[in-house]
Amino acid sequence: MKEETPIIEIKNLSKWYGDFQVLDDITTTINRGECVVICGPSGSGKSTLLRCINGLEDFQKGDVIVDGVSIKEISHTKEIYKLRSRIGMVFQHFELYPHMTALENVTLAPKKVFKIPEKEAEKRGMELLEKVGLREHAHKKPGELSGGQQQRVGIARALAMNADIIMFDEPTSALDPEMIRDVLEVMVDLAKGGMTMLVVTHEMGFAKAVADKIIFMDEGRIIEQEDVETFFKNPKSDRAKEFIDRILVHI
Amino acid sequence: MVDVSVIIENIDLLWGGLLMTFKLFIVALAGGLPLGIFLGLGRLSSRKWIYYPVSAYVHFIRNVPLLMLIFWIYFSLPILTGGLVEPFYAAVVSFIIFEATYFGEIIRAGYQSVSKGTIQAAYSTGLNYWQMARYILIPIALRRVVPSMITQSIVLFQDTSLAYVIGLHEFVRMASLIDNRVIRPLELYGFVAIVFLVICSIGSQIVKRLETKEGERK
Ligand SMILES: Nc1ncnc2c1ncn2[C@@H]1O[C@H](COP(=O)(O)OP(=O)(O)O)[C@@H](O)[C@H]1O
Ligand SMILES: [Mg+2]
Repeated sequence: MKEETPIIEIKNLSKWYGDFQVLDDITTTINRGECVVICGPSGSGKSTLLRCINGLEDFQKGDVIVDGVSIKEISHTKEIYKLRSRIGMVFQHFELYPHMTALENVTLAPKKVFKIPEKEAEKRGMELLEKVGLREHAHKKPGELSGGQQQRVGIARALAMNADIIMFDEPTSALDPEMIRDVLEVMVDLAKGGMTMLVVTHEMGFAKAVADKIIFMDEGRIIEQEDVETFFKNPKSDRAKEFIDRILVHI
Repeated sequence: MVDVSVIIENIDLLWGGLLMTFKLFIVALAGGLPLGIFLGLGRLSSRKWIYYPVSAYVHFIRNVPLLMLIFWIYFSLPILTGGLVEPFYAAVVSFIIFEATYFGEIIRAGYQSVSKGTIQAAYSTGLNYWQMARYILIPIALRRVVPSMITQSIVLFQDTSLAYVIGLHEFVRMASLIDNRVIRPLELYGFVAIVFLVICSIGSQIVKRLETKEGERK
């Protein structure tokens, strides 16, 4: 049983792009050390929700509280940079810096944000690359790495700030099947190591293995939030049922 | 028969013309690049009062033949300045006004080629705007832009010969003056062509190198 200390509290969060409501009254809590999987059809607002949590995107109503800090209050102050450094983020298309080596990708933020000396940052960077199985690729540029390797560099980069929370936005959906496994392995290790994780994914195997909770979104709303077993066995809504049938067929 | 002695006899004059061409090129580049950066940033601005005037200027200039622009400035500048304008200044002003719009569009494209996701990734690690710009946005955009910048500079170098029409003694004009005297068009214009070919080929080779390097990175 994990202790239940909330680290992210989302309270009645709503967001509009012009007239289009992309997030509709989202409320949920994520506890320290939990792994929460978010799923739902494309366009349901999952990526937008993640971007609101680390202040990459403004919202009009409600609030997000990260470890006691209100994002609404700090979103246009310098505080937001400090907060973002505590939340790692991993992207569907990796988004590595193309002009830097894997190691430089990982060490840039520790060097520039935390002002960690070069040597120390590199030592730590090498440890992280070792952890994701890429030590021997440290001096290659993203263009010389496969998709799966790039994504593992992306994970190392997110870990480099010693973040309390890591958010993954469909980390495997741009990868070939044989590479998905390597990336998921790293993610499973992280979850088992007690990292707080927020993972947008349709990898239901991953969800079943490590998720504490699953959130199903549709049209900007949370339709269900359940423990994994309940979600798969007894989805309450028809939409979740339909969705589960569809993705399970795919796997 | 081809007789290259006409080149050797007039090499001083031709060299003088080539120097003028280089001078024109360098001054136009030195003026066109900064103005181009300014125009490129203006075209990226979200402020309408900057974006619209700059865009109108860029569209207008890019849709006017350079030759016409040179004539127009040569004959209209004196009205503004009240005195005669030397062909050199009229040519330089024309090239700066014209080439800056091309440099501006290249800079704009370079900026826009940097993925929004990459910028978000940089922010997500806690970098502030200036750190993101310095370490991510500008280095990536610059690498993408340099080959097109050199290509456009080669075009500018060739365009300088248009200053011929307002009587500037640049390389082509010089060859034609000598030709009026000795009637050796084949040798003289052949020589001019070879010199342009060599200089521009060197430029193209540099671009090719840079592009393959960039390709390996992608
Ligand atoms: N910058 C934007 N401007 C306008 N609409 C947007 C923007 N970003 C996303 N959207 C819209 O918001 C909706 C949710 O997008 P997103 O959060 O990316 O969904 P998901 O990640 O679940 O696929 C989509 O309909 C998308 O078209
Ligand atoms: Mg998405």
